[in-house]
Amino acid sequence: MPYNVGLIETLSMVLIITSVAAVESQNLKRAAAAYCLQALLICGLILAFAVGNSALYVWALVALITKAILTPWFILRCIARTGEQEVPGIIGFGPSVVIASVLLIGFYKLTHTHVHVLAPTPEAVAGVFRTNLAVALTVFVLGLYAILSRRDAIKTVIGLCLLENAVHLSLVSLAPDMRETALIGIATEVVVTVYLLLYVIAGIREKVGTTDTYELAELHW
Amino acid sequence: MEQTTPCALTQIVFLAPAVAGLLAWLLGRARRVLAEVLAALGVACALAAAAVMAARVLQGEVLTGWGVELRVDALSALLVVLISGVGAPATLFAIRYMRHRRLTDADGNDVTEARLPGFYGLYLLFLATMLWGCVTNNIIMLYVAVEATTIASGLLVAFYWDRRALEAGYKYLMLLTVGITFALFASVLLYASATPFLSGVNAMLISELREVAALIPRSVAIFVVAFFIVGFGTKAGIAPFHPWLPDAHAEAPSPVSALLSAVMIKMAAYALARTVTIFFPAYSVLTVFVVVLGAFTMLLGGVMALVQDDLKRLLAYSSVSQMGYVIMGLGFGTYLGIYGGLFHLLHHAVSKALLFLSVGAVIYATSARSMSQLGGLGRRMPVTAVCFFIGAFSLSGLPPFSGFMSKLTIFLAGADAGMWAAVGVGIFTSLLTLVAVIRAGQAVFWGTPRSSGLPLESVREVPGSLWVAMGALAAVCLLLGVYPQIAYPLLNGATLSIAGVAGP
Repeated sequence: MPYNVGLIETLSMVLIITSVAAVESQNLKRAAAAYCLQALLICGLILAFAVGNSALYVWALVALITKAILTPWFILRCIARTGEQEVPGIIGFGPSVVIASVLLIGFYKLTHTHVHVLAPTPEAVAGVFRTNLAVALTVFVLGLYAILSRRDAIKTVIGLCLLENAVHLSLVSLAPDMRETALIGIATEVVVTVYLLLYVIAGIREKVGTTDTYELAELHW
Repeated sequence: MEQTTPCALTQIVFLAPAVAGLLAWLLGRARRVLAEVLAALGVACALAAAAVMAARVLQGEVLTGWGVELRVDALSALLVVLISGVGAPATLFAIRYMRHRRLTDADGNDVTEARLPGFYGLYLLFLATMLWGCVTNNIIMLYVAVEATTIASGLLVAFYWDRRALEAGYKYLMLLTVGITFALFASVLLYASATPFLSGVNAMLISELREVAALIPRSVAIFVVAFFIVGFGTKAGIAPFHPWLPDAHAEAPSPVSALLSAVMIKMAAYALARTVTIFFPAYSVLTVFVVVLGAFTMLLGGVMALVQDDLKRLLAYSSVSQMGYVIMGLGFGTYLGIYGGLFHLLHHAVSKALLFLSVGAVIYATSARSMSQLGGLGRRMPVTAVCFFIGAFSLSGLPPFSGFMSKLTIFLAGADAGMWAAVGVGIFTSLLTLVAVIRAGQAVFWGTPRSSGLPLESVREVPGSLWVAMGALAAVCLLLGVYPQIAYPLLNGATLSIAGVAGP
C-alpha cells in the first residue's frame, strides 16, 4: 500500500511525546491540551492509514468528535470547577520525568522488536503497522503509569484517556475491518465514562474539598 | 446441528427495560409513582421474555436476533432468567425502600421525589445492559455491554452523593474501566486472530470464535486469556482485582447492592465463561491456573469477611469469596465442575440478593448497618431474621439450602479431578463463611443493641412488600436445596454450551 511512511512515523513519535506531556504536566489545563493534541495526532494517523482502507475515514471522524472535542471539553469544564494545579503525585516531577522517559524508550524498543509475540497476523507486524502497534502499546503503558503514580483524580482520568487512545490506535493494525457500529460503541462508551468520572470528581471536590485521591480514605479494608 | 430460530424476544428482553427506564426518567418527573410502575413493568416484561426464551431453549432451540448478532442458548437463557428473576424482587423491594430514606440538597431541601425518576431510569438501564450482555453474540459488543453496565450503575453506586458514596463511585468507575480496557484489548486481539480463519463479521461472533480458538498462535492466546482474566475478572470481583467491590456494594442503595452482588458480577463471570473457556481444550494447563485463582479469591474474600463490622461490607467480601467457588468450578473444566460452577452462580445470586435485601430491611428499620450498633432485632423483626438466616445458612453451604448442593457439586468435581487441595480450601472457606455470617446474625438479631442510640422499642418489622421480596428469594433458596433437579435442565444445557464439555 502507498503509505506515507515518513508522515506516519513522524506523527507516531510526536504522539508518544504528547503522552509524556499529558502525564508530566503539572498544570491540568496544559495536560488536557497535550491530550487534545494527541487526539488530533491520532486523527491524523488514522487518515494516513486510510490511504489503504477507506473505512478508516469514519474512524478518524469518530476520533475527532469523541477524543479531540468532547473529552477535552469535559476535562476543561471539570478543571474550571476544581482548579488548574495538579495535586502533587506520588513521585516528584524530576524522577517522574525520568521514569516516563525510560518507560517510553524502553517499552517502545521492546515492543517494536518483539511485537510479533502479540500480533495475531503477519500483516500486523509489517512496515508501518509494526510502528503503530509499538506506539499504541507504549501509550498504553504510559497511561497505566499515570493512573498508578498520580494522586490527582483528574490526572488519573487523563491517564485513563491515554489507555483508551492506545487501544483505539491499535485497532488500525489489529482490526482495520471492524464495523463502524462496534467502533462507535467503543468510542461512545469512553466519552460517557469520562463524563461520569469527571461528574463524580466534581462532587468529590464539593464534598471533600480536594481532588486528591489520598484524601479518599473513608473506605478501606 | 443446532436448530436456530429467529426470535424477537432476544431483543425485547433488554429493550423493554431500557425503554421503561427512559420513560421512567422522563415521566417520573411529573409523578414519582409513574417511575415506580414503569420500573415494575419493565422488569416484568424482561422476566416474561426470559421465561419464554428459557422454555423454548429447553425444547432444543437456539434463539437468534438481528441476524446472528443476538443468540440465546441455554447458558444465555440461564443468565437472563437469573438477572430478571433477581431483578423482580429487588425492584419490588426498591419501590418502598427508596421512598423511605429522604435525600436533601446542600441547603437541606428534600429532593427525594426529584431524584427517584433518575434512580429508576438508571436502575432499569442497568438491568437492560446486563441482559444485553448475556444475549449478544458479538465479542466487541460483549465488551461494550459489560462497560455499559458500569456506566449505568456508576451513578447508582454514588446515588446518596455523600463522601463515602462518592469515593465508592469514583473507585468503581475508575477501576472497572481500567480493568475492562484490558478486556477490550483482548477482544480486539481475539477478533484479529480469528480473521485468517473466519470471514468478515463471523470473526466477531462468539459462537464461531470457539471453533478456531485452537488455531490462534500460542503467544497471542496467552495474552488474550490473561487480558480477559484481568478485564472481566476485575468486573467479576476476582482477587486481586476486587478492591472496588466492597466499597461499591456497601455504599450503593441496598436494592442496587443486591443487583451488583447477585447478578452483575455473575454477568462478568458469564463473559469469562464465554471467552476464557474456549481455550480450555487446546491449553489444559489453563484450568489449573483458573482453579488456583478461584481458590485464592475464595480464601481472601472469606478471611476479609470475617473482620468486617459493617454488614454490607461483610456481604460484599463474601461475594468475592463466593465468586471464587464459581471460578473454581469453571476452572475444573469438566462437566461436573462447570455444572457446579454454574449451579453455584445460580445459588449465590439468589442467596446474596436475599442477604442484601435482609440487611436493607435492617437499615430500613434502624438506619444502622454496623454490627457494633445493632442487636436484639430478632424479636422485633422476626420475618427479616428468618430470611437473613435462610440466606446465611444457604451461603455457608448448610443443608437443606441451595448452597449445600452447589458446593457439594463443586467439591465432588474437585475430588473427581484429583484436585484435593482446592477442595480443602473450599471446605475451609465454607467454615469461614459460616462463622462470619452466624456471627453477624447473632450480633444483629440476638442480645441487646450495642449502641444506646438504637431505641429497640420503636423498631418495627418492615412493610409487606419488602418481606414478600425477601420471602420469594428465601423460598427459592430452599427449593433449590431440597429439589435441585428443578434447575437441572437449564444448568445441564448451559454446561453443555460451554466449549469442550462432553456430557455427564
